[in-house]
Amino acid sequence: MSEGIIKIDKQKTSTFLDKVKEIVPDGNLNLCLTCGACSSGCPATGLENMDPRKFLRMAAMGLDDEITGHPWVWMCTMCYRCTYACPMNINIAALVFEARKLWPRETRPKGILGSCNMALRNTSGSAMGTPEEDFRFVVEDMLEEVRADQPGWEELQAPIDKQGAHFFLSQNSREPVTEPEEMAPLWKILHLVGADWTYSTTGWGGENYCMFLADDEGWKKITNTTLQTAMGLGCKVYLNTECGHSTYSVYAGQKKFKIETELEIAPMVKYYAQWIREGRLKVNSDWNKDLKIKFTVQDPCNQIRKGWGDTLADELRFVTMACVGEENFIDTYPNKSNNYCCGGGGGSLQNGYKDARFYYGRLKHAQIMETGAPYVITPCHNCHAQIHELGEHFGGGKYRSLHLWTIIALSLGILAESERTYLGPDLAEVNLPGY
Amino acid sequence: MTENVIGSAMVVGGGIGGIQSALDLANAGFFVYLVEKSPAIGGVMSALDKTFPTNDCSMCILSPKLVEVGRHRNIRLLTLSEVESVAGEAGNFTVTVRERPRYIDVEKCIACGKCAEKCPRKVKNEFNQGFSERKAAYVPYPQAVPLKYAIDAAHCIYFEKGKCRACEKFCPTGAVNFTQTETLHHIDVGAVILSPGFSPYNPAGVDRYGYGVLPNVITSMEFERILSASGPFEGHLVRPSDHQEPQKIAWLQCVGSRDIREDAHGYCSGICCMAAIKEALVAMEHAGSGLDTAIFYMDMRTHGKGFEQTFNQAREVAGVRFVRARVHSIEPADSHDLKITCFLDSGELHEEIFNLVVLSVGMEISKETRQLAEKLGVAVDSDGFAATSGFSPVATSRPGVFVSGAFAGPKDIPQTVVEASAAASASAALLAQARNRLTHERTYPDAMPVSGQTPRIGVFVCHCGTNIAGIVDVPSVRDYAQTLPDVVFATNNLFTCSQDTQQSIRQAIVEHGLNRVVVAACTPRTHEPLFQETLQEAGLNPYLFEFANIRDQNAWVHQKNPEAATQKARDLVRMAVARVSLLEAIEPLKIPVNPVALVIGAGVAGMSAALNLADQGFEIWLIERESQLGGHARQVRQIWNNEPVQPLLSCLIERVQNHESIHCLTGAEITAIDGFVGNFSTKVQTHQGLHTIAHGAVILATGGQPLQTTEYLCGQSGRVTTWHELEYLFDQYPEKLASATGIAFIQCVGSREPERPYCSRICCTASVQGAIRLKEKKPELRVVIFYRDMRTFGQREALYQKARGMGVIFIRYSAEDKPVVEVDAQGGLLITALDPILDRRLQIPVDYLNLATAIVPTEGQKQIAQMLKVPLNDDGFYLEAHVKLRPVDFSTDGVFVCGLAHYPKPIEESVAQGQAAASRASALLVKESIDIAPIVSVVDESRCIGCGLCEASCSFGAIRLKKVTGKGYRAENISALCKGCGVCAAACPQQAIDMKHFRETQILAALCAGAAA
Repeated sequence: MSEGIIKIDKQKTSTFLDKVKEIVPDGNLNLCLTCGACSSGCPATGLENMDPRKFLRMAAMGLDDEITGHPWVWMCTMCYRCTYACPMNINIAALVFEARKLWPRETRPKGILGSCNMALRNTSGSAMGTPEEDFRFVVEDMLEEVRADQPGWEELQAPIDKQGAHFFLSQNSREPVTEPEEMAPLWKILHLVGADWTYSTTGWGGENYCMFLADDEGWKKITNTTLQTAMGLGCKVYLNTECGHSTYSVYAGQKKFKIETELEIAPMVKYYAQWIREGRLKVNSDWNKDLKIKFTVQDPCNQIRKGWGDTLADELRFVTMACVGEENFIDTYPNKSNNYCCGGGGGSLQNGYKDARFYYGRLKHAQIMETGAPYVITPCHNCHAQIHELGEHFGGGKYRSLHLWTIIALSLGILAESERTYLGPDLAEVNLPGY
Repeated sequence: MTENVIGSAMVVGGGIGGIQSALDLANAGFFVYLVEKSPAIGGVMSALDKTFPTNDCSMCILSPKLVEVGRHRNIRLLTLSEVESVAGEAGNFTVTVRERPRYIDVEKCIACGKCAEKCPRKVKNEFNQGFSERKAAYVPYPQAVPLKYAIDAAHCIYFEKGKCRACEKFCPTGAVNFTQTETLHHIDVGAVILSPGFSPYNPAGVDRYGYGVLPNVITSMEFERILSASGPFEGHLVRPSDHQEPQKIAWLQCVGSRDIREDAHGYCSGICCMAAIKEALVAMEHAGSGLDTAIFYMDMRTHGKGFEQTFNQAREVAGVRFVRARVHSIEPADSHDLKITCFLDSGELHEEIFNLVVLSVGMEISKETRQLAEKLGVAVDSDGFAATSGFSPVATSRPGVFVSGAFAGPKDIPQTVVEASAAASASAALLAQARNRLTHERTYPDAMPVSGQTPRIGVFVCHCGTNIAGIVDVPSVRDYAQTLPDVVFATNNLFTCSQDTQQSIRQAIVEHGLNRVVVAACTPRTHEPLFQETLQEAGLNPYLFEFANIRDQNAWVHQKNPEAATQKARDLVRMAVARVSLLEAIEPLKIPVNPVALVIGAGVAGMSAALNLADQGFEIWLIERESQLGGHARQVRQIWNNEPVQPLLSCLIERVQNHESIHCLTGAEITAIDGFVGNFSTKVQTHQGLHTIAHGAVILATGGQPLQTTEYLCGQSGRVTTWHELEYLFDQYPEKLASATGIAFIQCVGSREPERPYCSRICCTASVQGAIRLKEKKPELRVVIFYRDMRTFGQREALYQKARGMGVIFIRYSAEDKPVVEVDAQGGLLITALDPILDRRLQIPVDYLNLATAIVPTEGQKQIAQMLKVPLNDDGFYLEAHVKLRPVDFSTDGVFVCGLAHYPKPIEESVAQGQAAASRASALLVKESIDIAPIVSVVDESRCIGCGLCEASCSFGAIRLKKVTGKGYRAENISALCKGCGVCAAACPQQAIDMKHFRETQILAALCAGAAA
């Protein structure tokens, strides 16, 4: 027996689970059959001697004291793989989310707390706290550099606060702050397809650590700011940069907080696929005909399982195969909506439980190794970072993670030398722009 | 209801349910149209390998029923047909049936298979789940009825390209007819029975299991075909990807069931747990030792008669592993093997590699069946099942339209058969006034006496087109026959079974004065009755006939050796001639039937049986030990679907009491039962005195009762109650509920224990419903149910879900670690039990504890069984004739069973079984006299020494010792009860017993002739 006898009070009092049921009335939190399907498919099972079924059962038995302050709630990435197999469609992630709130705000993991606080410091929404005008400066500076250094891109645009643009594009803080050259491939792609798009200064930050912190107010504020900005600019499509949680935070936050908008909230991949189909993005896999370099993909939980499902997963594959060649794409198993979470979600990159994060990622690592592919295309910043780390930690650098924009740009022959940070030596000089 | 009642019914769906309804009705004086959408009847059951729990060969027990339907004078089979519409009202409907063309003239087809042999188009064989191929000209399966080929227009080359017609060219009888078109039939019937059955759930949409992607992930229906001896691998247990024998097989339960998501069904399919156990056991038999089997489940639902014992045997003896875990995903381990990861109760992740994974797919109602219901105006529930009421479980929302089988909710074969008989009797009650109006009986000229005459034998040798003549030299066999002793006529025919040949056989009998006939042809299995009928038409006793099987057992199996086949045909004919010359005319045995039924027990089952038979016009004696009618149902509050029981029960009691054909005797005890089928005499003691009742049939509805227990402080604490007691306590003292904070239920008290190994079937549903009612009255009440496996089978699963939704806590316990109940310091109860999920003990204070104790047979059941010489099973419940296909009959004719006396069951099943027993009894009572199969045993009293071995060995009570003055005892036949099995003859040390038509002299004559070669 793991712990002592549980003495149930004679008088039933309102429990944590009762409260969560009120908050999430459609979460089916009472319906558990204790079948264990959730725990058998959860990469976080076993961490801190906890698993999804046990966590729900403890809540059901009213063991609130034991749940409160339990570190497992930060190790669970809320990836929904449990719910995906649950015959009762129980929203365990919602329970975990609410259990994060049981921690006093200031005691929650420092990294997540700090990022949330940063984002709330000004109206940029940037988790790195980058102010509005700094963002404008970096973008314009980077644009100048590309125009100057890369022949043929003299007319490249990176509009900011452009009234009436069709697409509003969010931007994860990582690029402007630490690797601005990584922004350029996407600009070039947008330029080639003739997209009418804009960044904004207010609410440009494409991340939301307040969501991970289970700070509803903060989540709402950031989502509201960015959506209001997009609406204020008269945009039609809220286009998320390649970032899973940010996409989800806006997509789910808009519903959760009932923010009225006519904007289409869309993941980037959907439009890549559409532009390729329309012939506007003339990607070509000929460069890989002889090289035969293999690629696999990571299906970000926040976009696929929790968002647009297999439809978007199929689009991701369509885009990937168009760029690298069908024969050079190797899928993982399981995949798409049933994919393993890599372990980078839920704020775990900043939760301070690094060992747990690597343990969590062992399944993803094994899956990737099984494909034998040296490159994993990850249209999500957290997946990108986690898989990059997994590759180094477990794989001895046997595989690398890539943004989708990198491989699109490569296959278009527009990926400059400076934009190849994440490519290995085998691709360092492949299909370089002809200048 | 119309005055112009039509004496026929239509049964829609030719599975086991439809077959049973059709046979019951046709045998009770109604003409039946049996409509089947495929080319042959048989349904899902025909594709199963074995049936649980007895592991009978499915086809072997089904096939006789198929043949009986195919031959029945009062059943018209409409295959490839679907109901378009039903107009009119109960008693007088006009049904429009659309019959698709078969492109084969069934009158001409002799099922020789030439068309299929020559057909160049191969198609996936859907009967074998696509694991093998058939041709576009095909018969769905070898035992199909009608055994007539069909051309699958969707795949036929002629229909695709306008050329081919190979089948037509090679058909020896000219049966292929490409000009056939669709036909619309307008058929008048008085009642309609819907038995369209279910479709297996298609798991292709569940990406987690990889069905359709991983070749060795298959469905349970596919596994049935793999196991089947007539299946794609001839019963050789191999897996699809590489045809290798698997060493490890896993079953995943509840695929598509007990799953509330959009692509699945919230209900439990009820049958899959037993099906998986059966498949595991059969697979282990096939593979021999070394096969590892594991069943991954949530709750093992082995709630039927004999099921729990099979479960125990599988676990404890056969070594099937039962793992309580639902599996998240199946992943490939390599290109063939499969990896399963499950989360064990111990809190460990367990990873295992299997060679084959079987998905136990549930039942669902197809889109076509939903459309049929809509066309007919029959209401369905949200799961797509026909909506019915607990007290009329086979009546749909449309009067005169009845339902049986899986269309009325997930169920197994026995319950389907029960409902099929119930639907037949409900139809019969509706149409009683038109009984025998549309049925035909055939009459024959008086048979010529042959006794003492020298045999004059005619031999007819069949070519069967080229089936026989292509191998066997038929003219030489004919010539040889002519040389045999007493053969006065021999001829050969292209098709001996054709209509014109029957005419020529009759002519030959008259012209040549034949008194014995031999046909050398296909097989007696399908054709003996035809030729016997021909003999009767010519004035010969039908038993003066012998069949020489020279096709199935000769020409077909010795195709490569025509000379030897010809020689064997001569041998077979010689044997047949030797035997036929010694055959005797056997007169039919007729027993008069007293059209009165005695029903013992006036609970819901007995009353339902009595009322139905009375509505059919029979006189009924209803015997009840208690002072009032109603039985245990008087304490039941709700049917599983929440209908209140008491108003419906009162209505039933009132109808029974007021029915002019029902005599109720209450406070009555049976003191003696004598007699046999059609002619029973029963003595009943009441306060008014002793009644002697003469009747033709007995229905046993003696009920059951809850076990009295001392477990869990029962009897010691006023706070511990059983079954309905707790709610009555609260009704009486509402303040007790008002002050209570916690109530617990414990399941399986006395059930699933070594001394009472069966599951009592109804307790899980009853406790869950009780818990819901308490929660409805007092939502803040803590309600806990301690259970072993939650067995809310079928659509009752919705109650379990509802109870959980309301916050009822369910805690699983094992037989080895039961909850411990104590009285606490405040006088309340304290229950301590392990929660296996947390792996920690819980201590829960409650005010009351209600126990679901076992349902046991009623007192006195044993005595009644002895009086009627009907058997009881190990648990003391009546043992029916066949657990699968004769669920309300006994081996002893004229005696039927229903209700709890048969096995614990809910009200709606008791009603259905009562009606089913009525159906089976009515087929007997409707006849003035019954024909007994005259192939019975006969005792030669002069050789009998009265040892009694025969009596001891007879299972039917058909032979017994009688006192003979001066001689002690001598054996005596009761031919009415004899089944002609021959066990007595084999047992007799004096060779004083012989079987008619299979006398030792007759068998020896054939054997000697055979050996004479």
